[in-house]
Amino acid sequence: MKKKALWMLLTVFTLMVLVVAGCSNNDEANSEGEDSNSQDTTDSESAEEGSGGSSTFVFGRGADSEQLDPSKVTDGESIYVTNQIYDTLVRYEQEGTEVVPALATEWETSDDGLEWTFQLRDDVTFHDGTDFTAEDVVFNFERWTEGAEYVYYGYMFGASEENPGGIIEKVEATGDYEVTFTLSEPNAPFLNTLAMPPFGIASPDAIEEHGEDYFKNPVGTGPFIFEEWKQDDSITLSKNEDYFGETAKVDTVIFRVIPDNGARFMELQSGSIDAMNGMNPQDIQQAEDDEALQIIRRPSMNVSYMAMNTDKEGPLKDKKVRQAINLAIDKEKLLSLFEGIGKPAKNPMPPSLWGYNDNVEDYGYDVEEAKSLLAEAGYGDGMSITLYTMSNPRPYLPQPKFAAQAIQEMLKEVNIEVEIVENEWDSHLSATENGDHDMAFLGWTGDNGDPDNFLYVLLDKDNAKKGSAGNIAFYKNDELHDILKQAQTELDQEKRVGLYEEAQEIIHEDAPWFPIAHTTPPLAVKKEVQNYIPHPTGSEPFNYLELN
Amino acid sequence: MKTLAAEAKADQMDPALKSKKNSSLWLDSLSRVIKSKTSLIGLVIITLLIVVAIFAPQIATHSPTDQSIIDRYQSPSSEHLLGTDELGRDIFSRIVYGSRITIQIGVITVGISMIVGVFLGAVAGFFGRWVDQIIMRLIDIMMAFPSILLAIALVAVLGKSLTNAMIAVGIVGVPHFARIVRSTVLSVKETEYIEASRVIGAKNGRILFSHVLPNCLAPIIVQATLTIGTAILDAAGLSFLGLGAQPPLPEWGAMLSDGRSALQTAPWVVMFPGFAILLVVLGFNLLGDGLRDALDPRLKQ
Repeated sequence: MKKKALWMLLTVFTLMVLVVAGCSNNDEANSEGEDSNSQDTTDSESAEEGSGGSSTFVFGRGADSEQLDPSKVTDGESIYVTNQIYDTLVRYEQEGTEVVPALATEWETSDDGLEWTFQLRDDVTFHDGTDFTAEDVVFNFERWTEGAEYVYYGYMFGASEENPGGIIEKVEATGDYEVTFTLSEPNAPFLNTLAMPPFGIASPDAIEEHGEDYFKNPVGTGPFIFEEWKQDDSITLSKNEDYFGETAKVDTVIFRVIPDNGARFMELQSGSIDAMNGMNPQDIQQAEDDEALQIIRRPSMNVSYMAMNTDKEGPLKDKKVRQAINLAIDKEKLLSLFEGIGKPAKNPMPPSLWGYNDNVEDYGYDVEEAKSLLAEAGYGDGMSITLYTMSNPRPYLPQPKFAAQAIQEMLKEVNIEVEIVENEWDSHLSATENGDHDMAFLGWTGDNGDPDNFLYVLLDKDNAKKGSAGNIAFYKNDELHDILKQAQTELDQEKRVGLYEEAQEIIHEDAPWFPIAHTTPPLAVKKEVQNYIPHPTGSEPFNYLELN
Repeated sequence: MKTLAAEAKADQMDPALKSKKNSSLWLDSLSRVIKSKTSLIGLVIITLLIVVAIFAPQIATHSPTDQSIIDRYQSPSSEHLLGTDELGRDIFSRIVYGSRITIQIGVITVGISMIVGVFLGAVAGFFGRWVDQIIMRLIDIMMAFPSILLAIALVAVLGKSLTNAMIAVGIVGVPHFARIVRSTVLSVKETEYIEASRVIGAKNGRILFSHVLPNCLAPIIVQATLTIGTAILDAAGLSFLGLGAQPPLPEWGAMLSDGRSALQTAPWVVMFPGFAILLVVLGFNLLGDGLRDALDPRLKQ
C-alpha cells in the first residue's frame, strides 16, 4: 500500500511539473498577446496623427548590466539602461558635454566656488507615484556617502573611509524645491560631474522598500519605466507617459544580450533587433552595403589600454620593464585589428578633450631598444607574466581576444612569455579591481567631458584601492597626485590645461599603461530608426528616437 | 578415453594462452577490418592523421603561430593553401600542427578513461557483492550527468587549460569502460578455465589480471576506438568554449571559436578546422564500428 501511495505521489508530482511548465509557457504567450493588445490600443489613441504598427525598440548588445542602481556601477552596460530610467540634476546636451537643465532648472554658485544652489522642477513624479522634492536629492546624496560600494561618488568627489562625503561637506534642502551644496574646496568639474548618469536621482521610497534588492527594482523619474529583467537575456522598459521632458516616441524598449558579435549582427540583418553596438570590425563594410541598415559612429571620447600592475611583486614594478613593453608592441600593426575604427593612443585621454597633450611623443616600436631596457632591468633572459582580457567586445576594444594574442606574439620577440587569462566581463572587472593580474586590458569612455574624469579616476593613487580600483595599474605617484588635486580645485581653465598637460608627461615617463586606441565605436541601426544621436559619453536616452 | 579427455581440456583452455590460435584470431579480425570498406576508410583516415602529425614540420608551409596581422582573413591561395585566420596565421599549417594536439587529446583522454574504467569495472565484476554495489552506483551517478556538462563542471573546478580539459574528458569516459568491462568480467569469470585456475590455487590478483582481463580485450579495444572520436569532439567543444586549449595553441576547436566572428566574411577560417574535426571523428567511428563487427565471435564465418 505504502509503495502504491508513493507512486501515486510521484505521478501527481510529475503531472504537476508538466502542467506548471505548460502554464508558464501559456502565460508568457498570453502576456505577450496582452502586451501587443495594449500596445495596439495606445497606438490607436495616439495614431490619429501618425503611423500605427509596432513601436518596440530592441537594442542588442554584448553583455548584460551588472546592476540597475547606477550609483554602484562603472560599466557602460549598466549605465546604458539606467540612463533611460533616471534623471540627473543637470544633463548633457544631446550631442556634446555642455550642461543643460534637467531636474534642476537653474543654478548659481558663490564667488569662492564653494556653494552651489539649484532650483528644482516642481512637476516631477517618480515612477512609483511619489513626488520629487529637494529632500529626495538630499536623501540620494547622503546615501552615496554610506560606503565604498558607491564607486563613482568615491571616484568623482574623492570620498574615502575617513572622509565619506569627500569634497561635498553638506547637502541641504533649503526649500521644497531648492537644494544647496557646500563644498570643502572649489571643484572645477562639479557641475559636469552632476550630469553623469551615476548620479541619477532614485526614489527614496523604492530604495527603502526593496533594500538589498533595489538594484533589480530601479525607480527613477526618467523617460522610461523599468518593467522586467531576465538576467543575461533581456531588460524591458516601457514609456513614461508623464515624463516632464520629451516624451518617448516608442512604447517599449528592450535591451537584449547577444554575446557573440557575429550572431548579433545576423539578428540585426534578419530584423529581430533594431540596433546594436559592438560590431565586428570586418562586418562594418557589410552593414554599409546593406540597404536596410545604417552605420552611426559615436563621437570618440574613449581610450583602450593595457594596464601594467605596478603594485604586484614582479618585473612590472620596474619602470624600465614597462617602458620596454611599450617599445616592444607594434601599435600600428595592432591597430589594423580595429579595421579603421580606431586611432592609436599615446596619452591616457582622448585628443577630442581639452587639455590633451599632443607634445608627448609615443614610445614607438623598437625591439632592440626594448631588449636593452629589459637587459638593464635584469630580465634579458626572459620572464613570464599574465595578460587578463575580457571575452566580450567593448566599444573601445572590439576584439580583445585577438588583440591579446597579437600582443602575446609580439612580446615573444623580447623573451616575454605571456599567459592569456580570459574572463567574462563581470569576473574580468572584479579580478582586475582586485589586482590579480600582471597586465590587463580595459578601457574608459569619458562621462563628463573633463580630463579629471580620465586622469584622476584611472591613474590617481586615490583610486588604486584593491577591490574598487579605477586605477588598475595600481600606479601611485605623489607628484602626479598633487597635480591632479590642484587641477581639481583650480577654477582658471588655462591653468588647468597646463596642469593636465604636465600630468600626461609624468604618466608617459612612468608608463603604467600601454595606451592602445581611441575609437569611434560604430552602431548598426535599421534605417527605420530615426534621430538616433549617439552621445560621446557612450550611451544616450532613447526618448528622442523614432521608428518609421 | 585419454585422448578425448585431453581434447576436451584443450577446448576449455584459456584462449589467451593459446598463443597460436590467438594470433590467428587477431589476424582474422584484421583481415576482416580491411575487407570491410567502411572500416578501411576509417583506418586510412587515422593513418593519414598519424602521418601528418609525425611529419608536421615537413608538411606545414608556415609556422603555426607566426602572425602577420596585415594579411588577415586572406582567402585560400597558393601562398596560403587554406587561407589565413584572424591574426594572419596560415590555417593549413595550424591544422597540420593541430593534428598533434588532436592525437595527444585522443590518446591521453582515452588512456585515462581506460585505465580507471577497466580497473573499476574489473574489480566490481570480479569481486561482486558490496564492492560491485559501491563502484557501480558511483558509476551510475556519473552517468546521470550529460557528459559535456560534467566535463565543463570539472574544468571549472580544475581551471582552464588543455591538460585539465583532457583530465575532465578522460574522467567523463570512465563509466562506459567500467560498465563494459564489468559485464564482460562477469561472464568470463564463470568460465571453466577460470574455475580451473582457481582449483590450481591461483590467487585472485593473478586470476583477474592474467586470465580474466586478457579475455576482455576485444570489447575494450572497440570501446577505446569509439571513445577516441567522442573524446576529440568533447575536447574540441571545451576548447570552443574557451575552457580547453589556450592561445596560441592551434587546437581545432579553439580555431573554430576564434574564426566564428568572421563567419560571414571569411568562412574558410571556420570551415577547414571544422572539416578536420569531422573527418577525424568520422575516421575513428568507422574504424570502431568495423572493429566491433570484426571482433564479434558471432560473426565469425
